[in-house]
Amino acid sequence: MAQRTKLRIAAQSGAGLLSVGLIVMRALRDLGFYAVADREYPSLIKGGHSCFTINFSTEPIYSLSKEVDILVSVDRPSLLAYFDTLNPEGTWIYGYERLAGIKDIRAKAKKRKITEVYLPTRKTAKDVGGSDLMQNVVLVGMIWKVLGLEFADIEEEIKRKFGKKPDLLPYNIAAAQAGYDEVETIHPIETPKKKERRMLIDGNHAIALGAVHGGVRAYYAYPMSPSSSILTHMANMAKETGIIVKQGEDEVTVANLSLGSWYGGTRSMCATSGGGFDLMTETVSLAGIIETPWVCAVVQRPGPATGLPTWTGQGDLKLAIHAGHGEFARIVVAVSDPTDAFTLTQHALNAAEKYQCPVIILSDKNIAESLVTVPEFEQGKIKIERHLVEGKDLKKLEGADRYKITKSGISKRWIPCSDKDAYYFANGDEHDEMGRLDEDESAGDMYAKRVRKLETIAKELPEPEIYGDKKGADISFVGWGSTKATVLDAINQYAEQGIKVNYLHYTWVHPLTTKTLKKFWKENQNVHLVEGNYNGQLGKLIEKETNLEFAGKLLKWDGRPFFVEDLQTYIDKNKS
Amino acid sequence: MTNNLTGLANTGIASQYADYETDQAMTWCGGCGNYSIQTALKAALSLEGIDRTDVIFCYDVGCSGNASDKIEGYTIHGLHGRVLPLAAGVRMAQHNTHVIAEAGDGATFSEGAGHVVHAIRNDYPILFIHHDNQNYGLTTGQCSALTPKGCKMNAAPEGNPLEPLNPLEMVLSLKPSFVARTCCVDTDHMIETFRKALNHKGFAFVETLQSCPTYNKHTTHEWYVENIKFIEKEFPDYDPTDIWAARKLVEDPVQYLGLIYHNPKRESFLESLAHKDKNDPMLIDEVQQVDVGKFVAKL
Repeated sequence: MAQRTKLRIAAQSGAGLLSVGLIVMRALRDLGFYAVADREYPSLIKGGHSCFTINFSTEPIYSLSKEVDILVSVDRPSLLAYFDTLNPEGTWIYGYERLAGIKDIRAKAKKRKITEVYLPTRKTAKDVGGSDLMQNVVLVGMIWKVLGLEFADIEEEIKRKFGKKPDLLPYNIAAAQAGYDEVETIHPIETPKKKERRMLIDGNHAIALGAVHGGVRAYYAYPMSPSSSILTHMANMAKETGIIVKQGEDEVTVANLSLGSWYGGTRSMCATSGGGFDLMTETVSLAGIIETPWVCAVVQRPGPATGLPTWTGQGDLKLAIHAGHGEFARIVVAVSDPTDAFTLTQHALNAAEKYQCPVIILSDKNIAESLVTVPEFEQGKIKIERHLVEGKDLKKLEGADRYKITKSGISKRWIPCSDKDAYYFANGDEHDEMGRLDEDESAGDMYAKRVRKLETIAKELPEPEIYGDKKGADISFVGWGSTKATVLDAINQYAEQGIKVNYLHYTWVHPLTTKTLKKFWKENQNVHLVEGNYNGQLGKLIEKETNLEFAGKLLKWDGRPFFVEDLQTYIDKNKS
Repeated sequence: MTNNLTGLANTGIASQYADYETDQAMTWCGGCGNYSIQTALKAALSLEGIDRTDVIFCYDVGCSGNASDKIEGYTIHGLHGRVLPLAAGVRMAQHNTHVIAEAGDGATFSEGAGHVVHAIRNDYPILFIHHDNQNYGLTTGQCSALTPKGCKMNAAPEGNPLEPLNPLEMVLSLKPSFVARTCCVDTDHMIETFRKALNHKGFAFVETLQSCPTYNKHTTHEWYVENIKFIEKEFPDYDPTDIWAARKLVEDPVQYLGLIYHNPKRESFLESLAHKDKNDPMLIDEVQQVDVGKFVAKL
């Protein structure tokens, strides 16, 4: 059985937690491990407790555990908050020097047969000539030794991390070395035999790279957790790629800037979270009636209102499907991991242009910020398909081709000003085929054309994918988005025990395609829903559309992702 | 007819003007200021040699927005209050194309007031025609933020209880790059003003006083004819680069027409982007797969 090492580093927000986690993650990646990491933190800049959880293995893993075998605590508040997530007989690495203040915890540790690995980290850092802050690096050294890994490998990563401050580098290395030398190996880890190059990336970064690779030339956003780092990444790539990146004054602005740029004829994107998307919805409706492509990534966090800004959830599926007044076609696609995010962003851009409608890319905090090791992105795989009338063909056009009422609902589209005679009106008022205001009864034909597009899209969209054996599972799941990672881990884990778990994953969530789903239901007897919201939003859509009924529903809405343990408990109870 | 329009007829520019002309029935009330504003805009475009492939018209919602299919060219008719970010987005995609945005006083100083602030601050390269008829015409005559105090309006039967905003006072407080005022009763002046604005490289705010014969009984066509005055005539030494002179001028209850403020040194939005150059291809011509290998290699 593949060994999964479960490690958690807990510290106050802003105490350098992320850098400890990143150093360890990168070093693990370089050794060829498959690794996943995510950060839990409150919506504030300094103080409060937060943690960085890492799971890694020599075999592919995709999601995180709730409980860990190794807990690294930097300070008292975070220790108190996370101590109970450390399994009995686990290892507790810490450097908190006021031992009298954690007497109770130490007693608990003893009772639970937890091994304590203690060093006065602050003092250790100072003894080698370093600063208070370097206590984190001492901890890195301690972690590495506890795992029984070679010092040279972590030294390499420390050099990379602190190489920009060469005068401090020797002290950082000395601090790590001191931490490494002073403790024992408790949790020896077998290192991977093959060192394949894998990237360490999160979902937001992958969306940004997908956008750049997919020809987005103008990116607009207003900061909102957990979507904000897409803006950061786009801005960081602007100079080298010539993209215009603009932080607008609000989400209404962002949505309109983006729609204006699409109408003007380039590729554009924006991103936000649920609350920001609420503000954009009128513009979604405008994109719908003027049949102009528009692509927005909605990186979910739990609502309503400000909700849980730095936590995860899947509560905005219905928002994405229904946002905007009036009836019109749109596409909702949900990413599940960075590889998916990179490719689907490109597919979303193509789909927006093909069907001339808004495309909403759903992600969530868990995908957005989880760092995972993935194979290097394959470039050039998805061609840019603009579906525009260009060149000589423009001369054959007249304005009324723009919104020509067709069976498929799709008409020709060309860039404004590209032809002198084929001008048209992109009219937010109901209009005729050229875009001229039309309030006659016949206006209903134009209305129907736009809605009809949805049927065309539904026929052409990819069906959901099945993971695990296609039929005869002991328990089956249906889900979308980030739940995929946890279910994939469950499939592998239970396969080792001879229990068949399979999973039907919706990537293209709206319009809902049900052919594969119905077959899946016929071939599997015990189909359950797994979804990160209270109502089971996708589940209800499926039930309404198909009259099928789930055997059970695994739902979660507390801001936490589905952990490995959540699936385990549920499967043990519900498998046939 | 004014000099400019007569001039048109005598040159080849007339055909360009005719290109913009619609054969559709207009839907504005008789005597609405929008007729002459649209005429003046078409004339200004023709005189500047700007044809259909050089300009995109962006419209807000309201009576002014109903021009969106009554000018024969590429137009977009967006949401109420949101025309400025929409137009800015269009201009980003086509930085060599003129982008004209039009909106009324409801859109500009109520629903979309925030966008005005930031469009000016960003100095987006747009000609913005503010149709100021001091009321909500298309929704049948409610007060706008610019309706004078005391005016009896729809939904204000006792008269508007509030003092109006002074639009240009607000605009000038934002350090704009171009502010002019014109009026629908003087087509020639509008043509001159729009032409100047079309040649401005940043955000040109053109306050266009407009009569609304149906709902605005306080500043009627006749009232404007009698009351407007021209900066050029009244203040021959007026310096439009002096922001304090401009601020003082717009404090005056008299509506002086002309170029109120111009800061030619101000960087427009596109100029402020360090990594972009005006000679770069337009974004519409740049859509292609970009190699992200160098970014990926760092991960």
